[in-house]
Amino acid sequence: MTPRWQLETTGLIYGEESRATVVEPVGRLTRLFENGRALSLGLTLDAITGASPTGALPTGQVVTTTSASGHTTTSSADATPTHPFQDFRGAVDLGWEEPLGTLVNATTSAHYSQEKDYASLGGGLKTSVDLLNRRFTLTVGGGVNRDRVFPVGGTAQGLASDTAARIPGDNPKQVVTGLVGLSHVMSRRWLMGVTASQARETGYLTDPYKVISLVDPVTQLPVAQVTEKRPSERKRADVLGSSVYHLEHDILYVNYRYYWDDWGVRSHTVDVKVRHDLSETSWLQPHVRLYGQSPAQFYVFGLTHGPPLPEFASADERLGPLRTATVGATYGFHVPGSPGEFTVRGEYILQWLVGQSAPQAANTTVGGNGLRGAAQAAGDDQGGGGRPFGTNIGSLLIGYTVAF
Amino acid sequence: MNTRRWLLAALLLAGLGISGCATVHPWDRDLLAKKSMRFVPLPHETAVDDHIYFSKEGSTGGMDAAGGGCGCN
Repeated sequence: MTPRWQLETTGLIYGEESRATVVEPVGRLTRLFENGRALSLGLTLDAITGASPTGALPTGQVVTTTSASGHTTTSSADATPTHPFQDFRGAVDLGWEEPLGTLVNATTSAHYSQEKDYASLGGGLKTSVDLLNRRFTLTVGGGVNRDRVFPVGGTAQGLASDTAARIPGDNPKQVVTGLVGLSHVMSRRWLMGVTASQARETGYLTDPYKVISLVDPVTQLPVAQVTEKRPSERKRADVLGSSVYHLEHDILYVNYRYYWDDWGVRSHTVDVKVRHDLSETSWLQPHVRLYGQSPAQFYVFGLTHGPPLPEFASADERLGPLRTATVGATYGFHVPGSPGEFTVRGEYILQWLVGQSAPQAANTTVGGNGLRGAAQAAGDDQGGGGRPFGTNIGSLLIGYTVAF
Repeated sequence: MNTRRWLLAALLLAGLGISGCATVHPWDRDLLAKKSMRFVPLPHETAVDDHIYFSKEGSTGGMDAAGGGCGCN
């Protein structure tokens, strides 16, 4: 009998060394109808606790930080300052798949997610057409998100003292995305595809909780801090190349993505997996992912105290010269006598910043090495050009998929 | 500069087209019919990864056209 339902469940446990911990259960139920139609409902819950870097440089002193909700954390003299946070996110999404004839497939989706300081409502459409005896598949899609940002404690004024009065209320953010892709059956055992996508974000794109250290030009030590400020528009684009190749026994997956945006971030991502069948009922899939990005034009380690501030600035390491390396493996297996497939995945992620001259201190007179020096003077024992803001991350993902 | 990048993408797409001379008959599609021969064989893993890297890196994008969430922390 053809299955009429499919259930996918996963549970993620994610932990950053001395920072955030995430527990995320996800469930997706799909009703499979005759002639290929399918309706799916997905539910995601996220419980996040821990601490996040504020963007400030190490101060050389013990620092106690209090979040808007009243939680406090204490940072040692050589530690990257962090702010404590706790959040809970719920998300629901709906998808409808509709074959239009034998060669065309259309998918419509909608989602809503809500957390303490952010809500996202969006929808998307995607259509695929099989061409030339199904040797090619052309995909065209697009989506719109209408989000709202309502920071805890109000919205900070950009590049103002972090103790200045905050403005209550919502900040709108809109994201419009589009993609076009072409995949091709290269041979009996080889599939290749290229997908190009673009996105335009407008509205409130600043991180409401990040700050930037103001550094004394003489002592090179942080003496104050201001909130960050980013432009209200961002145009992103990327090209993704994918290959799936069936070797004699194993399957090799290779993905490469080149990304660029008008904030100056450029990135390369390489992702390689190999699926190796251990038996008829179990398999192992090692995974390696390498990622490198250039910093945004307005990324700074810190700003000089005294001269006028630039129009935009952020010390968020996610806009810096960031590198990510991921290694891990998924083990998949069927339990004898029961339906469905279990998967267990463990991964280790290392993130770090690079570059002696990475800081672009906008219109300030303090160069990158000076600010790096400030970090080192404040007790950073990792060394310049190393990984002063490096993070060790571990994750465990357990999944179960069954059709019935 | 952007035009050059899009030209590169177009060339890649054209490359796929030119290399499409080999015919794979329906009866040769035994391997391709496997679920594990999809570009995204484990969608639940990919969805989780997209959310992790969206929150931890400055880039987004890939196979899908929509997303959601703050990623502030």
